[in-house]
This record gives sequence, C-alpha cells and structure tokens, in this order.
Amino acid sequence: MSALARSLRSPRVLIALVMILCILGCAIFAGQISPNDPGDQNLLSILIPPAWAKSGDPAFRLGTDSLGRDVLSRLIYGARTAMLVAFFASLGAMIIGTVLAHISGYFGGTVDWIIGRLVDVWMSFPPVILSLILMVGLGVGLDRVILAIILVDWTRFCRVLRSEVLIVTRHDYVAAARLLGFTHWQAIIREVLPATLPLLITLMSLEMAIAVIVEAILSFVGLGVGADQPAWGQMIADARQYVYQSPWNLLLPALAIFFTVTAFNLLGDGLRRTLDVRLSESGR
Amino acid sequence: MDLTVTVRIDGAVVPAIRGLSFELPPGKILGLVGESGAGKSMVGRAIAQLLPVGFSITAGSLLFEGEDLVQMPLPRRRALLGRAIGFIPQQPMTALNPVMTVGAQFDEHLARLGEGGYVERRKRAIAALAAAHLQDAGSLLGRYPHQLSGGMLQRVLIALAFSSNPRLVIADEPTTALDVTIHPQILRLIAEMQREHTTAVIFITHDLRLAAQLCDQVVVMYAGRAIESGPARSILSRPAHPYTRCLQLANPTMQDERRALYVIPDQMPSLRQLQKMPGCHFAPRCPLVVENCRRADPPDIWIGADHRVACLRAADMAAIATIDEAAASPEISARIVLQVEKLQKRYRIGDALFGGARLVEAVKGASFNIAENEFVALVGESGSGKSTIAKLLVGLEQPSGGRILLNGDDLTDPSLRGRVRRAASLQMVFQDPQSALNPRRRIGRIITQAMEAGNRHATWQERLTRTKELLAEVGLSADFATRLPGQLSGGQRQRINIARALCNIPKVLVADEIVSGLDVSIQAQLLNLLARLRSELGFGMLFISHDLSVVRHLCSRVLVMYRGEIVEQGPIQAVFSDPQHPHTRALVSSVPPDDPQAAWPALKAALAEY
Repeated sequence: MSALARSLRSPRVLIALVMILCILGCAIFAGQISPNDPGDQNLLSILIPPAWAKSGDPAFRLGTDSLGRDVLSRLIYGARTAMLVAFFASLGAMIIGTVLAHISGYFGGTVDWIIGRLVDVWMSFPPVILSLILMVGLGVGLDRVILAIILVDWTRFCRVLRSEVLIVTRHDYVAAARLLGFTHWQAIIREVLPATLPLLITLMSLEMAIAVIVEAILSFVGLGVGADQPAWGQMIADARQYVYQSPWNLLLPALAIFFTVTAFNLLGDGLRRTLDVRLSESGR
Repeated sequence: MDLTVTVRIDGAVVPAIRGLSFELPPGKILGLVGESGAGKSMVGRAIAQLLPVGFSITAGSLLFEGEDLVQMPLPRRRALLGRAIGFIPQQPMTALNPVMTVGAQFDEHLARLGEGGYVERRKRAIAALAAAHLQDAGSLLGRYPHQLSGGMLQRVLIALAFSSNPRLVIADEPTTALDVTIHPQILRLIAEMQREHTTAVIFITHDLRLAAQLCDQVVVMYAGRAIESGPARSILSRPAHPYTRCLQLANPTMQDERRALYVIPDQMPSLRQLQKMPGCHFAPRCPLVVENCRRADPPDIWIGADHRVACLRAADMAAIATIDEAAASPEISARIVLQVEKLQKRYRIGDALFGGARLVEAVKGASFNIAENEFVALVGESGSGKSTIAKLLVGLEQPSGGRILLNGDDLTDPSLRGRVRRAASLQMVFQDPQSALNPRRRIGRIITQAMEAGNRHATWQERLTRTKELLAEVGLSADFATRLPGQLSGGQRQRINIARALCNIPKVLVADEIVSGLDVSIQAQLLNLLARLRSELGFGMLFISHDLSVVRHLCSRVLVMYRGEIVEQGPIQAVFSDPQHPHTRALVSSVPPDDPQAAWPALKAALAEY
C-alpha cells in the first residue's frame, strides 16, 4: 500500500487523476450539467458556431451540429459513453487476461503452451478489423461495444502479465508457500497476485485509453453504440461532411478524445514509474 | 608500493576505507582478508578506478612503481591498466563477452598491447592458454564463453591477465563462484603464473585458511580499516587482533575435536552506523573491550618486525580461549524417520514436439535413511543432483521412480491428504534468503504462514503467540514481527526462513546450502542455532552443502554425490579421514588445512615442481 501512497505524490499521477475526475464528473452528472437534451433536434438552428463566434447563440455554448443538436450536451453525454466503455471493457479484458496469464505462467508446461498459442492466434488478427467483424456479428449497442473490446484486448493483459508471473513464480517464497500446505489456488492469490498487482493496475489504465479510442473508431464507422446514444466517434463522423462550414463540430469531440486518452496514458505512465519495482529500485 | 586510500560516500561523507597503507614488493602475494562490507573489494576497485557511484578517493596515494595512480593523467593510467596491472574477476562466467569467441577477445587484448600481426597474436594466445594448462588451446580459441565451464573460463581469464606480463595482478575472490574441487587448481595456477612472471598479486578473499596457504603477506580488514597486517603465517598462527582470532574460532575446523563455534555477536556495522561510532570499530563485538577502546581509534602497534596491529589489548590475546564445551552431539536414536529407496529423477530436455528430446538422469537410484535427531550431510559439486534430491523430498518435483517413506508412509502419493501430511512433517529451508521471503509480507505473517494454509484458519491471536515463540526460538526479538524482509540483514533473513520451516514442528528439515552466502561470523551464529534447535525440538535434517568443514561440524553422517549417484556414505569422521571414492578424495583435499603452518598437499604438489 505504501507504493500506492507514494504514487499519489507523483505529479504525473496527480495531474492525470484530476483530468480523469473532470471527465468522470461530466459522465456521472451529465443529466444535471448539460444545458440541453443531447437528442433534441432544432432544425431551424443547425451548424451554429460556438457562442463566442460572431453569429453564435448563447443558448448553444459550443454551437449545434447538422441536426441542430447542442454540441456541448452531446460532448458531456459522450463522456458517459466513453467512460462506461473504458471502465467495463478494460475490467473485463483485465479479468480474462489476468486469470489466463496466472494459470499459464504459474503452471507452465502444456497449459502454458496451449494458452500461449491461443494468444498467438488471437493476436494475429489486426485488432481493429477483428473488433469490426465482431461488431458486424454482434450488432450495435453499448454492451456489444464493451464485449467486442474485451474479446479483442484480453490478449494484451495475458501476454504482458504472463512473463511477470513467470518471474514471480520462480521465487523460492512461492515454493515455500506450497511446502507449507498452500493449495495452488492459495499460492496464486496470496503470493503471486500481490506481486503482479502493480503491473496489472498500470496495464488497466493504459487499456482504458485504448478502449476509448476503439470505441471512437467503432462509433465513427457506425458500428458502435446505437444512433440514439451520443458518442464522440459518432460526432466526428457526423461533422465530417460539414467540416468546411463548421470545423468546430469536428475539432471538439476530437479534442475530448485526445484529452481523455492523454489522461489515461499519463496515469499509466506515472503508475508504472512509481509502482514498478525494477524501475523504482534502480532509480533510488 | 605504498598506498593510502580514503574513500568517501557523498551526501554524508563517510569513509569506506580509512587510511589503508600497505607495501607490496614485486613477486609477492598479498592477501586482503575480511568479511563482506570490510572494504576489501573497494581497494581493488580504487586501483582499477572503478569505484561505484558516489565513492571517490579523497586522500592518500596509490603509488605504483613510484608513480601515483590517483594523480596520474587519465591516458597514462589507462595505459597501465590491463598492461602493467591485470585483473582476475570474481565471476568468470560474466567477465567475457558472450557473443565473441574466446580467440577474438584474446586477440583484441593482445592487439591493444601492440602485439604484431594476427598470426603472431594467435601464436601468443595459444601459448598463453597452454601455459594455463588448458588442453587443445587452438580449438578453444574458436569457442564461445558459454561453451566452457566456469573453471575453464577462469583459466582463460588468468591467462589473459598474465599475457601482458604485468607487474601487478589483482584477484578478487577468484574461486568463490567455482566448485570447491576446482579451487586448488585455480589457486595453483595463479601461484604458478605469479612465480613464472615474478608478478606481485593482491589476492582478495574471505577465507583465512586459504590466505595462510597462498599469501606471503596478509592484511586483515574490518569496517574499512586494516586492523592487522604482517607475514601470512605468523598472523594466522599468532593473531594479535581479537577480530582475527574470533574469526578463526568461528570457522569450523577439519581436524580438531568438534566444539561449539565461537560466536561474534551482532554483525559488522554498516557505513551509516560507522559515522556515529568513535573509537575502535570492532569494540561493540569485541570480547576484550575496555573503556579506552570506545574513546578513540586505536593506533597501529608494531609487535614484530613487520607485524602491525590496531588494538590496545593485543598483549592480552590469550584471554580469548577456545570454547572447550564440546559441540553437543546428541544421542541419535535408532528410530528411522525418513527412508529413501532407489529414488530416481529423469528430465526430458530439448524440443519434445520436433524430436531431439533426450533424457537426463539427474538422480540415479539414491537410497538413504535419516533417523530422529540425526543431521545427515549431502555433499558434491554443482550439478551432481543435490538440489534435485531436496526438491524430490519436499515434493516440489515428482520422482520418476523409487519411494520416500516417512515413518513408513509413502510420501510420493500425490493425494491432497498426502500433501497435507508432508507439509506437516517435512520442511525446507531455502538457499537464497532474499528470494525465499515474500517482500510484501511482514515477518510475523511469513513465519506463521503455515497457519493460513489449506483449510486452517488460525485466529490473529493464535498467530501472534506463535510468532513470538518462533522469533524467540531463532534468537530474534519480538519486534521483528512487524518488519518487512527488506529491512533485515542476510543472517536475520535466514533465521526467519528457519523459523517459518519450524512453524509446524517438522520431523525432517531439508536445508539447501543455507549458510553458503553468509559471512563466517554469521555462519557460526546459524550453525550454533541449528545445533541448539535440534536438541530442543529433535528433528532430523538433510543438510546440503559444499563446505566440508561446516558439514563436519554439524552433521554425523555424510552422503557424497557425484553425477546423480551417491558414491559414498558413512559416518563423517570415517569418510573424511579415509575417503574411498576418487571424488570424495578430491573434495577432501580441496579444503585448506586449519593449521597455517601445515602444508596443503593439493596446492603444494604443483608448486614443488618449480
């Protein structure tokens, strides 16, 4: 726990946490803080520029899109979609990947071989193509997006964690625990998992960034969440046709994605620097 | 050569070596002796200008043939290092570049010396390797370091160090990483080369007996200071500093009656502690300490023509008597606890899928017994299958054949009940105390770990009580319970390791090289601890070690292992005084004699030829 406390003193982690809290706040209190309904169409006032521009309308602070929907509200509700996907997709991928990685690295031998080959085969598909194919098969919807990302990205956890589990398992204290009568299950949970946890947390925060991007890509091609649900990728796709009349509509959701991904990457990097035993010991 | 070096750490300036002076005439061997942390390796590093970050030479000079290495301009010094001054490293396995052939590295070195053409250099290299008694030197040059054994690599490195005809060679523990049976050969080679080239050698070691045999002069170091220096044999037969004497008494012997080992309490102060320590640094651990010792650092006293000692009480050395108390050799009951019958282990190595797999027999039909209260030693060189037997016994590996009977029950039965029974009666103490303790658990949780295994759910109160009992057993205070393994020294970690294995009060303990990484004074503490625990708890033990004097001190029976087979077994005294198998003979002769005046046949045999 002292390592986690130490990581909270790292400026990287602090800045990242503040950024993520902002996005999370938008996502949770979207209903309270968004000025308009994100789905409300106002066909009389389409493509209004942001309020500070010459022909802006104070009612729509960041302007409206091609159907006259309030961009600010859509951005805020988009954060909700992005956060849901980021959290649940990375959690799911983490659980599958971690369980398989620990089984594979701890037991070794044939089990390791089978899981290793499975990961190899899985990773030989380009991830975006694979998720697109999955979405075509599964159909659109928030839960489907999450499922697709989980099914594609668990390999990332499995591969990286497995090598860490291998190193930890080779320590004599794991053997000692077995000799004292620990079952395999107890040895993994109480001896191996605590040692791989820092890497796991780091990987998860990086995975959240990836999930946000993948969700945006899927929404962009129309295979993401349903059309009635605002998502940043969808907003970019919509704005693409009117990019010359109204560049703001394209730039703002892109910026939102950029901001979110930066926050998660910064968090992952900061955690890695403070939690990684090898890095922090050599740096001391 | 006259040398005074002070090394300091940045931040708080702490001397790591304080005013060290010695002279080394050409063609002599000087032994730097001391435990780890004494600063002996730092001397070699100071000469090579390879001090770790933060360390620097702040005073004194390193005079090499009248020139000061410290003040010397860098190119001049660089020209000396590797030519006039050679080095033999501690770890021969990592000292050569693994992606270059031995020949290429030899050639590179000779080319740097300005040796003529390639053909000429190749001839020189072959001659140098042949002089190091390496057979078939020509084909050796085409091989890569990983294809050679540690002993061969060390010979190559010795040949390399002496190839430039140096005036000084620094050998930093050149044998510690190698098998004991190879030690005499390597030492012999160094002595031989040194005589042939009339080179001066600084020989850094922790082994007093070895220094007595090999060196002309000895400097004993403690906490960065040379506490005693003089001719090797006279220092070691009549030590004038309490530390030298205690160190000798802490080392188990090969010839004398077995006695309890002298224990130097505590451990060497760390550099941080030294800062706040006026007076003699050995004072807190010294049996002869008087009030004056704690006031100021004692001056050097000359007690012989060239025998110098830094101690106020050098005259009273006789007061440190040998402990006459014979080592407790308890009644060994005839009741056999552990019975091993024709134990076998085969490994399949290579690629199982695409053929090319072959079977390696790590253990070929080993049979032995351990009685209640009996300590049985298992000795042999590395790769002989000692550790495999340990793993088979405790169940970390499954045997390919044979039986392990504990009180008549077969332990090889893989059922859960079998595992629980085994956990309760057979425990293992691991070699590397660092790796054997989970760095995230507190000591209290580590040593009572057995109480959370399987379906046992001990209450916190029960565990706390047991923790206190166990800590007291292994001689640590109760406040260790809340510390983390990282805050402990090597000796303390090994005690924790033992305490954890004792939690369930096992019948048999398997100890795999548990004192090999530790200093002599710490080793003595642990050996005495094990002897005491045996008389209190009455467990049997399989003690795996490569150090015959330790084995002789602690155990009553010995098994000698060679290439997977137990080639000789019997009572320790009988086996060591009259070894039958050639391998046992090689092992026994590789231990330097206790008496510094006595000849060491393994080393002398070769030296006599010159």
